[in-house]
Amino acid sequence: MPSENDEVEKKAPNGEQKLASMAEQLPATNGTAKAAQKPERGEKLVDGPKQKELSGKEKKDLAKAQKAAKRAAEKQRQQGQPAVDLVVGNKGDLPTDSGKRGSSGPATPASKSQHKRTGSTSAGAQSSLPHRQAPSHAPSVPAEPEKENKNVALFDHLYGHARRTTVAGAGKDVHPAVLALGLQMRNYIVIESYTTPLRNSLPRHLTTHLSSQIDYLVSCRPISISMGNAIRWLKVEISNVDVSTPEAQAKSDICDTIDTYVREKVTVADQVIANKANHKIESGDVIMTFAKSSIVQQTLVEAFRSGKKFRVIVVDSRPLFEGKNLARALTDLGMEVQYSLTHGISHVIRQTTKVFLGAHAMMSTGLYSRVGTALVAMSAKEANVPVIVCCESVKLTERVALDSFVHNEIAPAQELIIQGKTSSELSKWEEVPNLQLLNLMYDLTPAEYINMVVTEYGIIPPSSVPVIIRLSTNT
Amino acid sequence: MLTPPPEERIAGPTFSNPDDDGPSFDVVSAYNNVLSTDPLITKPVAAIEALISLLSASPPSTISETLSLLESATSELKATVPNSIALSAGTDLFQRYLISTLQQGSAQYAKSKGRRSSSSGDGDFRAIRAHLLANGRLFVQRAKESRGQIAQAARKFVQDGCTVLTCGRSRVVAAVLIAAADDGAKFKVVYAQDSHDALSTSSTDIVKDLRRRDIPVATIPFSAVAAALPYITFALVGAESVVENGGIISGMGTNQMGLLAKSVGKPFYVVAESHKFVRVYPLGGDDLRLGQTVLDFSTQSEEKEKEHEEGKRKAGAEAVDFTPPDFITALVTENGVQTPSAVSEELIKIWY
Repeated sequence: MPSENDEVEKKAPNGEQKLASMAEQLPATNGTAKAAQKPERGEKLVDGPKQKELSGKEKKDLAKAQKAAKRAAEKQRQQGQPAVDLVVGNKGDLPTDSGKRGSSGPATPASKSQHKRTGSTSAGAQSSLPHRQAPSHAPSVPAEPEKENKNVALFDHLYGHARRTTVAGAGKDVHPAVLALGLQMRNYIVIESYTTPLRNSLPRHLTTHLSSQIDYLVSCRPISISMGNAIRWLKVEISNVDVSTPEAQAKSDICDTIDTYVREKVTVADQVIANKANHKIESGDVIMTFAKSSIVQQTLVEAFRSGKKFRVIVVDSRPLFEGKNLARALTDLGMEVQYSLTHGISHVIRQTTKVFLGAHAMMSTGLYSRVGTALVAMSAKEANVPVIVCCESVKLTERVALDSFVHNEIAPAQELIIQGKTSSELSKWEEVPNLQLLNLMYDLTPAEYINMVVTEYGIIPPSSVPVIIRLSTNT
Repeated sequence: MLTPPPEERIAGPTFSNPDDDGPSFDVVSAYNNVLSTDPLITKPVAAIEALISLLSASPPSTISETLSLLESATSELKATVPNSIALSAGTDLFQRYLISTLQQGSAQYAKSKGRRSSSSGDGDFRAIRAHLLANGRLFVQRAKESRGQIAQAARKFVQDGCTVLTCGRSRVVAAVLIAAADDGAKFKVVYAQDSHDALSTSSTDIVKDLRRRDIPVATIPFSAVAAALPYITFALVGAESVVENGGIISGMGTNQMGLLAKSVGKPFYVVAESHKFVRVYPLGGDDLRLGQTVLDFSTQSEEKEKEHEEGKRKAGAEAVDFTPPDFITALVTENGVQTPSAVSEELIKIWY
């Protein structure tokens, strides 16, 4: 298990460590005793390089933030634990987690957080926590039974903190729009989420304030690669703002650059990609896609509008059933769509001529996307069907992952229980001994299963991802 | 790489556009002319030479006019040639080169002339243009020399005692093997030939050349490649174009050879000049969009089929297939030995 965690540490890129250190601010909004000293440390860390640029104003803002944090903490103490139990429990996990990632030994987080979990369970927040206690083994992990204990360790680092489910306990200086977005994200509503948090966090155009917004978002759902890229870009932009610029002017400037960024990297990029990918669709094709990717949808719609006659097979899986939306949207346009779940893939892949996939992140070693994608890509390779990934350059990353274990997101296990069925076998899974549910969000498709990646810079093989990253960040 | 044999090249001028008015330059016949007069030239370089002579023949005009002239000439060329991918490697490269030179040139002139009125731009453009044409010729010269450099780089693959499997009419492969033979290497060559290959002069010329240098050559039909593989050390082929993912477009039969070599774990090396790199990304052999028909289904009797035999033979000599990068062990260009995945990086460098 220590080796597993070691890997996590190594893999974490600079940006994430920075974020982690920023996360230390959060305790201030929680009201735990030790949290009182932490904010200063956290903010110092963040502001270190910026101290010179934003002097008087920043100090004022810092003081304001600390005051706000203290107030929030007090308020929570008054409210008492039970009301916000779940959230406080979660947040309690967050700082310890992030703190350790930055500094102390990698082996400790598990034991410590486990200890906390037992505490909070007794307080009554069973709903999302029990699966993290993970008493013995994970049956859903394909491995020999004698390795059970190891499997728990394999995913343990991913149970960092449960998702925040309410707005309670959020810091006072978190902008309400960000709060709303956070909850939306948790419910998988927002797709191009990385655009919105930026704009909303502008009212205070200081990175310190941004970071608390970001921390909140992270506590709702782990940050995605594209969000990380966008946030990194925004911070650079903000730090480039001249100190002498009046605040209103600076704000509108940043807003403008953000709008341009969104336009260039998302809106226009999507159009360019859809256009390029469209060239690869011909009349008579049978296109397979998995779940729902907005860029794949755009490509298919564009190809359909250009008069090509082709069929679409939407492969989907539990528990999110995102493909249903895609299938509905395409049939509404009058396209011929076949809907199938992953268990039918070996059958439908034989009719398929091309597979189009969306991406959560794309690295030179593979595609990180919705869990199940790897299965589709591997089946396609087996059937000698070309696999095409559509991906904006913001989603490209220099990070390297060799498997889906080191870096992943765990969704609440409750999602696996079939809703509306009172007699569902899984509905009382928490009480079944030796049963653990594993609900991963993403998986990694090795690059050898991908034939081409369509970006706004052109069509490239996966091995050229680093070249495009260099290209897109240098200009 | 596989340019048509000389007797077929002469048919070139018949492609020329009859709508052309007298004085205007016929880029298609220029292209065919270049190919037929210089047996050592490749299709992309021939296209570049044709475009250069087009530019020098046409009166100097503005930058945008030059570019649009180039564009129309390029599409005219592509429309008349059966395999336009090889050609577009040259025209694309020349266009990118032209644009970057024009940008640099105008930037320099803007700097040196300060804020002068734009009316003086005409004379400036004349200078840029002259510079461009001179450099273009240099470019063609370098492209021709690259074959020798490849022979140097690939020489180390041909060790004493090895047996090389090859096919097609690649002049780069011939250059590599002859350079190795002249260098005193003792090796054997197995030459896979189609019926039309055996009849064409360029392919038998290579065999003759090698035998004259005391290199034992065995010619086999493509159907015997699998049977010959156990005796082979590695396969060495040329390419007409190298596409973005590192796969190659080459004479019909190359893909098959790559597949067989891969299946028995023999190295499969490709030798090609880097000007053959082209910004095309086929998903497979069925995605080449060259308009060539691999399959010609028929219900006609054998006698009637024979009438088409000659046409088929001709088409067969021109036919190409696509070898995916998975089958290719390494690409040898004038820049050295590269993996197939390096092609995309090289192309991105040219385009951005």
